[in-house]
Amino acid sequence: MNFQSVGEILDFAVAKEEQSAQFYDSLAAQVRQESMAEVFRELAREELQHKAKLLEVKQGGTFQPAPEEVADLKIAEYVVDVEPGPEMSYPDALILAMKMEKAAFKLYNDLAVSTKDAVLRGTFLALAQEEARHKLRFELEYDRNVHQDDY
Amino acid sequence: MEENPQAEKPKKEKIPRQKMPEQNVSARIRNFNEVPLGYDPETAQREARRCLQCKNPQCVDGCPVEIDIPAFLQLVVDGKFVEAAHKIKEKNVLPAVCGRVCPQEDQCEKQCILGIRGEPCAIGSLERFVADWEADQGETILPSLLPPTGHKVAVVGAGPSGLTVAFDLALLGHDVTIFEALHEPGGVLMYGIPEFRLPKAIVKREVEFLRRLGVKLYTSVVIGRTIEVDDLLKSGFEAVFLAVGAGLPMFMKIPGENLNGVFSANEFLTRVNLMKAYDFPDVDTPVWVGKNVAVIGGGNVAMDCARTALRLGAKRVSVIYRRSRSEMPARHEEIVRAEEEGIIFFFLTNPIRYLSDEKFWVRGMECVRMELGQPDSSGRRSVKPIPDSEQIIDFDTIIVAIGAGANPIIASTTPDLKTNRWGYYIADEETGLTSKPRVFAGGDIVTGSATVISAMGAGRRSARAIHKLLMESKKV
Ligand SMILES: Cc1cc2nc3c(=O)[nH]c(=O)nc-3n(C[C@H](O)[C@H](O)[C@H](O)COP(=O)(O)OP(=O)(O)OC[C@H]3O[C@@H](n4cnc5c(N)ncnc54)[C@H](O)[C@@H]3O)c2cc1C
Ligand code: SF4
Repeated sequence: MNFQSVGEILDFAVAKEEQSAQFYDSLAAQVRQESMAEVFRELAREELQHKAKLLEVKQGGTFQPAPEEVADLKIAEYVVDVEPGPEMSYPDALILAMKMEKAAFKLYNDLAVSTKDAVLRGTFLALAQEEARHKLRFELEYDRNVHQDDY
Repeated sequence: MEENPQAEKPKKEKIPRQKMPEQNVSARIRNFNEVPLGYDPETAQREARRCLQCKNPQCVDGCPVEIDIPAFLQLVVDGKFVEAAHKIKEKNVLPAVCGRVCPQEDQCEKQCILGIRGEPCAIGSLERFVADWEADQGETILPSLLPPTGHKVAVVGAGPSGLTVAFDLALLGHDVTIFEALHEPGGVLMYGIPEFRLPKAIVKREVEFLRRLGVKLYTSVVIGRTIEVDDLLKSGFEAVFLAVGAGLPMFMKIPGENLNGVFSANEFLTRVNLMKAYDFPDVDTPVWVGKNVAVIGGGNVAMDCARTALRLGAKRVSVIYRRSRSEMPARHEEIVRAEEEGIIFFFLTNPIRYLSDEKFWVRGMECVRMELGQPDSSGRRSVKPIPDSEQIIDFDTIIVAIGAGANPIIASTTPDLKTNRWGYYIADEETGLTSKPRVFAGGDIVTGSATVISAMGAGRRSARAIHKLLMESKKV
């Protein structure tokens, strides 16, 4: 992958969010339980919100990482992979989502490492940070409900 | 001395909270008998005399089913123990159970006014005492039933929620049939909570009482498999109450959870309880447990598993909990008892994978040290792993006790029964009515894992709503 400008990078990121939204929409159509279909529709909506945010950023021209670090609960690292399918449970859907965000995070981080241009690197790092934030949201939801504190 | 404005008779002799005798530690870790031994009548009366008979009793507000606590305590003071049991039963059909397993320190006793300056009145211990006293008097007298209405109701699941609905509807004259998946009724009371906290004879006695009221009970029937909810409605049941609990074990989904020697808490406790492993060697169905056991989790279920493993003969039992001792959700008295019994605690530690020997038996776990983060909006502190803190600890048995969820069997065969994303049924808070007409639900399958008394409270509210529905349909 070879990117020449911030605009190009953002276009790539926008397309990725769009693809993820389509992926979740296709799962929403497959699952049997209506509540799970709603989960996937919600995930698709979240990806479209990410896309909208990136388009806004594109208007503004620059995108740099925030100074504060995003917490990493590392749940996506430790849990096993899940297969998407019509009988998926909500915890499995969360695992799927956190692993997708993790993969995106890793991609942008790797791209940042291999980029010499400071502005482009900053853009990749900002995108990586966004993905880390999305991953954290799924990890927190997973953590709160799978490790039940009143059990 | 400052006087309590709520008290009718404020000047009381200073009686300390009466301790309940317990089995000593070295004996109890080798048997499954109950740990606390109960009050004798004199001690019970002494404890009940501590009650100030408040005009505006806060303890009643703390009880989810609003037992008239001062009234039953006064009956204890007067030596009318059977009447005291009846007073409780006006609101709670399982006092011998609740006296033992309710988290009183968070409910009635938390609100007791004596607790402001000293120790609250031992309401739970007294509830247990009067219920046991009544049972010891021989067969309990049956309450009077209303004449038969001819209306038929099906109850799915014989846990505390289902039993309460059945009891209330039977008293009102309805024809109630319970279908239970397992071969013993009682739900978690029977297959979850260990014998040393809740003797199974008590649960059996309560179920027997229900049978005497005319409730029909079929065991080993899984609704949603051969018989579906719609079949029940078509076969003459005018209402169905779903009280199937939250029995689906949660796993962390880390590598190695499918190795031999890794159990869910649910599977482990069910085997011990339903196969009567606690009676070994009198009963020939021992449950295998290794010598070096780890229990993952920090709640009551984890304490139950750890203490059960110890009693089955494990040499070393460790509890692995990812937060610190002060965040442990288990009841304080259960943590203290577990510590007394020699259970080892690893705090701020979390497994990340289980390790296998060449025959696919678990031989240990890799875990990480955890650190607590900032509290979130709900006050709960997140936990995250400390980088490069991995270590390996040897174990030959792992019991995962982190949580439980909804079993999908009924929802997947009842398309018009709406669930939330975690699989719990969506039901009206006041009536328990689900999205499906004439189908009600209550207990853990609606709220997620909760308490015996909250499951019973839900049963009682639904019984009222079902009765109303049945009586209105009669008018049509
Ligand atoms: C180990 C353990 C210890 C606990 N300790 C305490 C405690 O000390 N104090 C406290 O207040 N709470 C405690 N709890 C929680 C408490 O037991 C539950 O909140 C309560 O039992 C819920 O009652 P219920 O009637 O909703 O469900 P359950 O008790 O779970 O009963 C549900 C019943 O439905 C049956 N069933 C399920 N599916 C079907 C089907 N398809 N067809 C027919 N039958 C079906 C099940 O076999 C079961 O018998 C504990 C829980 C566990 C697991
Ligand atoms: S039922 Fe539970 S909360 Fe209510 S009085 Fe008894 S012990 Fe307390």
